[in-house]
Amino acid sequence: MLVLRDLSLTEGGVPHLAAVSVEAEPGRMTTLLGRTGAGKTTLLRAVAGLVQPQSGQISLAGNDWSRLPPWRRPVAMVTQQFINYPHLSVLDNVAFPLIRRGEPREAAREAAAAMLGRVGLAQMTGRRPAALSGGQQQRVAIARALVKRAPVLLLDEPFVNLDYKLREGLREELAELLRSQSDTVVLYATTDPREALQMGDCTVLMAEGRVLQAGPPRAVFGAPATLEAARVVNDPPINLLAAEITQSGLVLDHLGPQSPGATGRALPPGRYTLGLRAEDIRSGGPLPARVALTEVSGSETVTHLMAGAQPLVMLERAVTDHRLGSELGLMLDLGKALVFGADGALILKGASHG
Amino acid sequence: MAEIRLQELAHAYAPGAPHALKPLDMTWRDGGTYALLGPSGCGKSTMLNIISGLLHPSEGRVLFDGQDVTRLGAGQRNIAQVFQVPVIYRSMTVGQNLAFPLVCRGGPTPRIRQRVEAIAERLGLTPLLKRPANALTADQKQLVSLGRGLVREDVAAILLDEPLTVIDPQMKFELRRILKEINAEFRVTMVLVTHDQTEAMTFAEEVIVMNHGEVVQAGRPRDLFERPATTHVGHFIGSPAMNFLPALAVAGRAVVPGTGLSLPLPDGLPTDGLVLGFRPEHARLSGASGTMQGRVARLWFEGLDEIVALSHPAGEVRLRAPAGLGLAPGDTAAFTLRDTALRLYRNGRLVA
Amino acid sequence: MRTLYLALKYLAVTLWSGFVIFPFLWMLTTSFKTANGVTGGATWLPWLQYQPSLGGWQSLFGGAGGVNIVRPYLNSLVVTLSGSAIALILGTLAAYGLSRFSFRAGPIRNGDITFFFISQRIMPPIVLAIPFFLMLRWLGLLDSLPGLILIYVALLMPIAVWVMVDFFNTIPRGLDEMAWMDGCPPVTTFLRVILPNVMPGLVVAGMFCLIFGWNDFFFAFTLTFTKTQLLPVSIVALNSSVTPWWALSAAAIVSVAPLAVLAFVVERFLSRGGLAGAVR
Repeated sequence: MLVLRDLSLTEGGVPHLAAVSVEAEPGRMTTLLGRTGAGKTTLLRAVAGLVQPQSGQISLAGNDWSRLPPWRRPVAMVTQQFINYPHLSVLDNVAFPLIRRGEPREAAREAAAAMLGRVGLAQMTGRRPAALSGGQQQRVAIARALVKRAPVLLLDEPFVNLDYKLREGLREELAELLRSQSDTVVLYATTDPREALQMGDCTVLMAEGRVLQAGPPRAVFGAPATLEAARVVNDPPINLLAAEITQSGLVLDHLGPQSPGATGRALPPGRYTLGLRAEDIRSGGPLPARVALTEVSGSETVTHLMAGAQPLVMLERAVTDHRLGSELGLMLDLGKALVFGADGALILKGASHG
Repeated sequence: MAEIRLQELAHAYAPGAPHALKPLDMTWRDGGTYALLGPSGCGKSTMLNIISGLLHPSEGRVLFDGQDVTRLGAGQRNIAQVFQVPVIYRSMTVGQNLAFPLVCRGGPTPRIRQRVEAIAERLGLTPLLKRPANALTADQKQLVSLGRGLVREDVAAILLDEPLTVIDPQMKFELRRILKEINAEFRVTMVLVTHDQTEAMTFAEEVIVMNHGEVVQAGRPRDLFERPATTHVGHFIGSPAMNFLPALAVAGRAVVPGTGLSLPLPDGLPTDGLVLGFRPEHARLSGASGTMQGRVARLWFEGLDEIVALSHPAGEVRLRAPAGLGLAPGDTAAFTLRDTALRLYRNGRLVA
Repeated sequence: MRTLYLALKYLAVTLWSGFVIFPFLWMLTTSFKTANGVTGGATWLPWLQYQPSLGGWQSLFGGAGGVNIVRPYLNSLVVTLSGSAIALILGTLAAYGLSRFSFRAGPIRNGDITFFFISQRIMPPIVLAIPFFLMLRWLGLLDSLPGLILIYVALLMPIAVWVMVDFFNTIPRGLDEMAWMDGCPPVTTFLRVILPNVMPGLVVAGMFCLIFGWNDFFFAFTLTFTKTQLLPVSIVALNSSVTPWWALSAAAIVSVAPLAVLAFVVERFLSRGGLAGAVR
């Protein structure tokens, strides 16, 4: 087990890590999910020894790593940028870590060739990395990381610079490749909630250098502990509707009074925030809204709308073509909304999620 | 601004060499947005260079508003181009960069200033006008390149050659929004070249999918999704990809053996190489019986929903299902599918 | 049309080559002439237009009122090669450090340190000559090979630092880190991963060092007397009241020879694609 305890790192007054504790088990993938700047990369770099936390402890299976320089730590890493050794052929790139740790050249090259075969680059072994496409370069980097069979594998948004078709394929390939490395601790950082939920056995939500929540993907997605966690774990962004519950019922600040009992359970009067997922808004309802932008990605359309002063995001599982500026009637399924209290903590989990 | 017409256009880089761009006919509406989508080497850059005038086609004609410009050079066509790597005049300020195309053509200074300020305002560059262009971030530089095209009121079209490649993922969203708004407002013909499906489908009214120097399909994003012209497009557009299962001809219908998936065969169609396809989004899980039944091979939890891989002797299919149905690998599951969501392909091409 | 184009192209190339080769040809013919041969118009054909003589060449070995340049020639080779090599090694190490680590001494940062190195070459040499002279005298190294080598290292290192900092900066730091994680300690990382990727830089920096070192006259002149003369100084010593063009030409040829060899080697390296694709 890889144990990170109370890691803190502040640089120029900015807390990159604030008392971060994470436990990651071998044979399972732990995904770190957070926006750019949430501290994911810093955390991975701390594990690799590339940055020194000011306090805290890193240990693998009880062995303290805190004093080890990077070249003594048994880690492998794949970063967003496709980093390979430009002066070496694809084959020698992958053989390099093995040769450096003293394996005979021939054996190292054989292992490298086998690994390149598994990532689908058997035909490219003689080329220089610069002669490959982006997806192929990243495969070389993945092969180099995997061939070492390091007990800790760090993946820092490895597919972010590739288009979704390549991402889709590589994610599956990676899961397949990792299946044979059941004693490896895998940390996978990403900004894409779907990727994190899809790939991880455990999801760690991060923001501003802190861990917001950790747990199995379904639990984290179904019941984000705070507003902040709900924001991090939803893509397209979750709709936040400021609301007030009075004696007469639920009133949304920008959208007015709603039918009593819209949120499923009676709540005491006070200020609340409803978190309504983009999928729980549908077109074909009474609420008028103007289309501000539509984004088509994969098989779905994300439409950004303005209902009066309330910005809304709607997700449809199809390719649609709402014109910029056109009017749509919306249906908000408030029964599925997450309800957060004035302090941002989750009070009520919407119906039928997770 | 102009309508662009490509007439029997084709290109081979040397006489007798294979076509880098196979013969095509196409008309691009004035003020429309178009995307050329395909992997590198598919001919999309060749096509772009022909339109911009950097390359003269070996066959066919290029017409701008009915006027033959095939033999005109890049400078005489009134085309503005935004490249992958931002091209800006580094020694000038943002304002001077924007004004440059107008200054080169000559014109009253107050008019130029007015136009530059209007464009800068629209692109959100007003606070940066006095800044040296060199000091901008990549996405700001790209906006300046775009602005240099927009300041020219006589510009026939703006060509965008993978303009978002070097932009931070976070900023791509923002730039896509600005591109769309600009088009809605200025109604200038815009052609985007990209290998990224999201970019193409989000930006364009009409997407031209290219592969091996050929136009595979040209249509609205919705058409590409609902009626892919080839199995390649079905794979390439959409995530997860479209499902394809080999089919046999049985009593005038194309049938996937062992399932309820079937479509009537059009008259006179040869019966070899048949494949039925459908989108994962169109299938509905239906408990134990349905159009097709299979064993759950894998599940991918995506939050709002789950991708379910069903294995069946005819092949594996993927479906999108709401999360929380409690499926597990090894379970038996079935789904229903309306015939209207089913497509028939023969040798990779759509027939019904 | 095509052949005409080709013919024109070759014509242009030929004309240009003639333009470039002409001075060398003149130098070569002059070196075999005598006082009679160099006066009057230009002449090209030996025996027909002028009587060839080895006098110019002999004077390089001390004959016919010349100066023996063998010793200075060897001195120059030793000083230039060892000075360049040491400057290149030290400069490359310094440049790597400047590219990879942040230094701070009060308001002074990496950029200032780099500029400090370069500024050594901005000053007119005369400013340096006197301090150099005094320092060498204090060390007892005036008019000696080690002293000269020391000075050349000081003169050439800024060039190496200047060129190499830029090359190191083009190599992403991620590459160093990747090598660390692949088990290479910093020194191995530098030797095995970083250096192979700055080969073009090393060649360029080495070339500059060799050229500057070989061609230097000023310091060679001010810091030596008689014992340890360098080639440029002894070539000047060939001069007398009647300029011996034949001897100077011969000397010019031998002094250009090493640089010609260098140019040839570098050209080979470049045409093999030494610069291409090494750094992404």
